[in-house]
Amino acid sequence: MIGARSGALTGLRRLVANALARDLRGFVVPGMDVAWANGLDLAGTGLHLATTPRHASVLVIIGPLPAGLADAASVAHAQMPRPRAILALEAGDLAPLPAADATGALTQAGLVAALADLRRTIANGAFGSGAREYSAPALETRIEYTCPMHPEVVSDQPGNCPKCGMTLVPRETAAPLSHAGHAMPDMSDGVTAETPPDPVAATHQHGAHHPSGDTKTMVEDTHAGHGHDHAKQTDASAQYTCPMHPEVTSDQPGSCRKCGMFLVPVEDKDAHAGHGHTQTDHSALGSHSDHSAHGGHSGHGAHGGAEVAGIEAHFMSMVDLTRDMPASADGLKMEWIDVPFGPFFPGLPGGLELELTLDGDAVAAAKAESGVSAVNLLREAATSPEAFIDQLAALSPLSPVAYRELACRALEQAAGQNPASDTASARAAAVERERIASHLNWLAGFGTQSGLHWLERRAAGLQLELRHADARGIAALTPRTTALLRRLHRTPLLHDKLNGNGKHADGDALSGPVARAAGSTSDARSDNPVYGALGFGVLTGTGGDARARLTQRTGEIAQSLGLIARAGQIAMPEVQNIGSVSGKGEAIVETPRGAAQLRLTLTGGKVTQAEISTPTAALVALIGAMARGRELGDAMTAIGSLDISPWELTA
Amino acid sequence: MTVLVVLLALAAGAYLIAILESWAVHGRLEPARPAISALALLGRESVLARTPDRLFFEAGPILLLVAGLLAAAVIPLAPGLIVTDLATGALFLNAALAYVLVALIMAGWGPNGAYGMIGGWRFLGQFIAYAMLIVMPITAVAMRAESLSTVTIVQSQAALWNIAYQPLGFVLFVVAAMGLAWLPPLDLPTAPGDLAGGVEAEYTGVRLAVLRLARMVLILALAGATVTFYLGGWLGPWLPAPVWSALKILIVAGLMVSAGRLVPRVREARYLELSWKLGIPLALANIFIVGVIALVVPI
Amino acid sequence: MTALAQYAILLGLTLGAVGFVFSLYALARAIGRSREEPGKDVPATAGTLSRDPVWVRYHAKYYGYALLFLAFDMEMAFMYPWAVVYREEGLVALLDMGVFLAILFLGLLYGWSQGALRRQE
Repeated sequence: MIGARSGALTGLRRLVANALARDLRGFVVPGMDVAWANGLDLAGTGLHLATTPRHASVLVIIGPLPAGLADAASVAHAQMPRPRAILALEAGDLAPLPAADATGALTQAGLVAALADLRRTIANGAFGSGAREYSAPALETRIEYTCPMHPEVVSDQPGNCPKCGMTLVPRETAAPLSHAGHAMPDMSDGVTAETPPDPVAATHQHGAHHPSGDTKTMVEDTHAGHGHDHAKQTDASAQYTCPMHPEVTSDQPGSCRKCGMFLVPVEDKDAHAGHGHTQTDHSALGSHSDHSAHGGHSGHGAHGGAEVAGIEAHFMSMVDLTRDMPASADGLKMEWIDVPFGPFFPGLPGGLELELTLDGDAVAAAKAESGVSAVNLLREAATSPEAFIDQLAALSPLSPVAYRELACRALEQAAGQNPASDTASARAAAVERERIASHLNWLAGFGTQSGLHWLERRAAGLQLELRHADARGIAALTPRTTALLRRLHRTPLLHDKLNGNGKHADGDALSGPVARAAGSTSDARSDNPVYGALGFGVLTGTGGDARARLTQRTGEIAQSLGLIARAGQIAMPEVQNIGSVSGKGEAIVETPRGAAQLRLTLTGGKVTQAEISTPTAALVALIGAMARGRELGDAMTAIGSLDISPWELTA
Repeated sequence: MTVLVVLLALAAGAYLIAILESWAVHGRLEPARPAISALALLGRESVLARTPDRLFFEAGPILLLVAGLLAAAVIPLAPGLIVTDLATGALFLNAALAYVLVALIMAGWGPNGAYGMIGGWRFLGQFIAYAMLIVMPITAVAMRAESLSTVTIVQSQAALWNIAYQPLGFVLFVVAAMGLAWLPPLDLPTAPGDLAGGVEAEYTGVRLAVLRLARMVLILALAGATVTFYLGGWLGPWLPAPVWSALKILIVAGLMVSAGRLVPRVREARYLELSWKLGIPLALANIFIVGVIALVVPI
Repeated sequence: MTALAQYAILLGLTLGAVGFVFSLYALARAIGRSREEPGKDVPATAGTLSRDPVWVRYHAKYYGYALLFLAFDMEMAFMYPWAVVYREEGLVALLDMGVFLAILFLGLLYGWSQGALRRQE
């Protein structure tokens, strides 16, 4: 086993290896929602699920990993303590990850068999000689040297800065992406440029101004003085100013007339001014571990290194020290940190890369992007209709049926075909069945996020049974579903938690349950005569907050159950013989997350051009405004309530 | 000798609570699970985060264990079966439990990781919410017993258990105890949905095992405190005293561990608001009511 | 048993617990040491590496509550001895502490009205 620990498998280690084999903890990649959508009941197999790779012993990979998530998966794998294993279910080539220790088919039976395999492997191989060190491109770092005052000066060798002569300091950056773009905080303590910094003095200074700081940790000497908290970039202007008295300016370098410090060039305070990016680079001094403890203390550093002849320590008021720091809504100036809530965060859709700038535990800014890289809709110049339908279904593993239906309808329109009304109605029922499964999937994710474990278990279990059930099976499951929804709405404190959370500005491009929960009546199904025959009526809500979205989705589940009951049968969408026709087709389908629209061109029976618009892009655009200023838990609930599918962002 | 017996009882109790908790979480009763998990954790690597605050990182779980043990040291399991019958037992319990906060903040700060640090500071907010609601009900209990010694407090309930005498205090105390042990729905420091493990996240291997053991001991100590203060300790007919204690403590611990899972995680702002705007006035009212009753009624 | 002896037992308990933990650590060390690999020591953030330190000044939003907590905590320190002698002293004790609590309660109400009891954004 590659992820084993070194040592011989004797005595106590054998006992421990057996215990490890029986106590498997899995970290699911890309996420539990994908696992549920593929029909896997992970909890039922005795595999305990871990919320963080640190507590996991197995990396469970469901289906082929998109290229964009491979790096994140290798990071997650690297962060797992040994002995660790990889379980891959139809994942294909695992590129940056090592080979899987157990593989299986993407079915429950395949999972169970693979787990049994895995337990045997671990029991025999948890300690052994098969251990190999794991390294991946995403994990590598290299040391580069930069000037504290001129962050754009970067070199691979130690030396002196060509601009000011300061000794270059080492900085750890991730290879291959250089973080040179993060301007380093200005070590604008002019003193350090000229004098060998005195660690003792700096320690003393820090001790004086920061009572709680651990003064003993000032090991790193070239950072004896800390610059201001904002990143400054040099420009060509010849103005010089005193770091502690900004009102003192001069055209020539020299000494400040108020305090005697050496004047430093004025840099424009750009957009990073308000940003605590100090941290990025202070952290870089990996070997000077204690030093980075002061990464955040940069705000009050400009006084440092005062034990140089002729310069006395100058008291800086809090106002001066925090002048350029970001201010929160209550006026306090605190330091903000950038925290990734990366692609594999439990409770959020798998594959969504969220980066939050946190001000304490409130979100100051939020940025989201899909970790799933863009996929070409048409892999060859001319795709056969069946292959096209399959590709479109593979685009979104969370709602393949809706996309199949989309492709089928567009193809039929292009070919001029019209499906029989009962086929159309059976296909609509399939789309509705998937809507129920998707909403239940979302409910299970919501349960994970808010700590309602019973909801997670029951919604996931129900979803597994419902996704492939026929009309009779669904009718049999209806009482359980309505009971679950009733119990959910009666949960104490639930509405209290969601009320007022996650309101968003009105957007024209919004569709789906999110839009309808805010009062919109747009639903692609209302124009469809098939649905009209089934007695469909648009369901809307009021409030536009997370609570309204929850109510909207549970209402849609109930509505879809009724529609399926009236349709009577379910059939997967597929096209009959298209032949060699040519034409343009266009279709719009209400996927569980909103309206998706497809336009394609058929030439000689093959699809030659296609473009698709999915509802997710509009939803992702809401995240920034929705999360800003909210507490972390509320922001996560709000983002979760949007039910974003990072897979659909690709096209 | 008594110390040994009590410690053994503690170990057994912690094991049983671990079984109860895994039953509440996974829906399956697996008696061997805690032992297997403990062995497995021993066998996993204990990773040290880069640029940690080593002292805090190591001290967190150890301090948590010590706090739980000291709190459990003043819980009487039977007349004479107590580690130390301090004259200021209830006060000492409170003092020991105050270190839970310190331990969690150390555990959050130490690894220099975002999720952990936020978890630690959130727990401080939670502390401000629950701290008064632990102390005030204890005061009311001490008023009836005229003593801070836990043994005397139990003996004072011979006529009527405090749960009937001061039900308001009981409710406040139990909810605050759940906040102290960060049990759902007040599990803000280790919220799986918001913080992916939070304070616990950076601990792996044997350190995680110690942290989890410490938490079990803490829950046991809190259940013991609830039983001592409100449910009459070892008092009860027919069965011998230690059996009554064990039964009551396990039932209370089981309820604490499972009952909260029916409700979604309470937001920190909401918890603070409820505690201070509703909880503290109620606790003060409780003290007043108990004061009046204690003067009027002789039991 | 004198109080000193009792605290000695508790000290022994503390040291015993610490010793127990260290012996567990030694056992784990005997099983094997942790292997250093790239990326393993970065705090886990759900799939993205983030090497930034997070030891910054944390903006706690509950400082309003914290200030009131200080006042009440001091009050509770006074209430412990009062509770023990309460029944002996009788009505006088109730009235004395009642006045004290009422004043503090008024302080709580004042803080509430001034907006101290909310999340300070």
